[in-house]
Amino acid sequence: MEAWVVATSLIFLYLLATVVIGVVANRRLTVNMEDFLLYGRQAGVIVLYLTVVATFHSAFAFLGSGGFFYTHGIGFWMAGTWTILVGVITYTLGTRIWALGKRFGYITPADMLADFYESDAVRVLTAAVSVVFTILYIQVQSQGLGYILSVASGGRVSFEVGTLILLIVAAAYLIAGGLRAVYWTDVIQGVWMYVAVWVGSLVLVYKLFGGPVELWQRLATERPDLLTLPGPEGLFTPGVWFGMTIALSFGIVFQPHMMIRFYTAASARTLKLLGATTPIYLMTLYIPAAMVGLGGALVLPDLQIADRVFPELLFQYAPAWLTGLILAGATAAAMSTLDSILHSNMTVLTRDIYQRFVAPGRSQAHYVLFGRGVVLVLLAVGYVLSVSTFDFLVTLITLSGAGALQLMPAILGVCYPGRRVTTRNGVIAGIIAGLLVLYVTRVVIYQPLGIHEAVWSLGVNFVVTIIVSRFSAPPSDETRRRIHGEIERFVYGD
Amino acid sequence: MKPPRSHYLPRTRTGRVATVLLVVTMALAQPPVVHGLANRIEPWILGMPFLFVYLLGVYVAIIAVLIWTMTRKV
Repeated sequence: MEAWVVATSLIFLYLLATVVIGVVANRRLTVNMEDFLLYGRQAGVIVLYLTVVATFHSAFAFLGSGGFFYTHGIGFWMAGTWTILVGVITYTLGTRIWALGKRFGYITPADMLADFYESDAVRVLTAAVSVVFTILYIQVQSQGLGYILSVASGGRVSFEVGTLILLIVAAAYLIAGGLRAVYWTDVIQGVWMYVAVWVGSLVLVYKLFGGPVELWQRLATERPDLLTLPGPEGLFTPGVWFGMTIALSFGIVFQPHMMIRFYTAASARTLKLLGATTPIYLMTLYIPAAMVGLGGALVLPDLQIADRVFPELLFQYAPAWLTGLILAGATAAAMSTLDSILHSNMTVLTRDIYQRFVAPGRSQAHYVLFGRGVVLVLLAVGYVLSVSTFDFLVTLITLSGAGALQLMPAILGVCYPGRRVTTRNGVIAGIIAGLLVLYVTRVVIYQPLGIHEAVWSLGVNFVVTIIVSRFSAPPSDETRRRIHGEIERFVYGD
Repeated sequence: MKPPRSHYLPRTRTGRVATVLLVVTMALAQPPVVHGLANRIEPWILGMPFLFVYLLGVYVAIIAVLIWTMTRKV
């Protein structure tokens, strides 16, 4: 059987499985916002573990990271740093966010910040940052999916049709089963992508080089520039290394599709276990990616698009069944992130905008229905963005990594009581200043002094937040007692 | 309102040890250590280049600290 038939069949088999899961999840669903949007705050260790890792690792980790190793060498192994930092953040900060969410019924990141800072302006600003800097990922993941299906079918399914099919499937199971369907499909996706990337890379490395050790030795002989920093193109300078560590750990955790997961945990212990152990999965996924990317640099040195190194190696050197298995795994990686972003944007728009400002006081069923409608709109927006090219989108995507990072001072002000209180005016000024500096240091003057834009923007954000907070009114004593008191009780007991 | 005790500094001995260990191990995976001492191919370790194994070792150490912290209920 030809490779494209096997690959396409496996992908469609996988899609069918996700739809079935959506239908089953729908039968367990109650007409309740917490159930539809937050899995009823009952996610246990296994489900939450796999949804966190599957959501964190998108199509980029599966395909793009191989391309990074291919072009920039071993420096991309720094990815382990930020994936482990995600575990540390989950352990230390995620448990506090969970405690406040459970106690005060928060559903979105803006719920928590608006409650503490007693401000609708903070709510709107947080919601805007949450949506603007993640909605573009819908485009990125959709394009990845269209590309994967197009490649898998040997061009028989066009990019546009492939994108549409996969967007519709993700939206369908999300509409049917809410976050429960997303979590259950993520379980399959998380296992599938991990197994696929490891099996695929080991098969390739043994077939092409005789084993990992032989691969390393050939690299040292033929391409030693790939084995040291800052890499062949000088990317991984100290400033970029540190900046990427911050942007791709805190910056991703503060995006709504990751933060909302903290609210859904069944217990704080669940989150601590996740914090301590998810780095094992997240970090080790980059080992096979390194073997694929670096091996590809030896075997296929003239690729025009480096991100294609994994599928190109598969089609040339792997059996058809394996190619299909791995491309279905790549589909899983992209869909697990896409469905979570669709869900989080739906949640933010329903909860922070519609319920708060447009139609307050309606029934739970009304908001669930509205949320389902939002998914359809996001599907349409995602599709249009995916098949179109807008210059401003290219700019926005480059800013996305450090966009949600600008919420950091505001979140720390809520979750870490200190002698100096962060204020509403402080966080608003800080977020705006941070976003402006982010734009300037990424687009106008690219990474001044070789320091990543995440470091510049976050540094300015903190300074502005602290200074303005010193000269503006803090949240009321009652609110600080209520929220910081809850943190105190949660961490240290009464 | 009386300012609360800061949460930025851990109050228990185990908390302080865990914080110091995390900061130190994270620093080992950052510049200048990585770009200086660890930025080399040799010596080879188990057939793999030094920088790769060095970073893997640091990552494993950080995960070990996290698991130890969890077992101590911090």
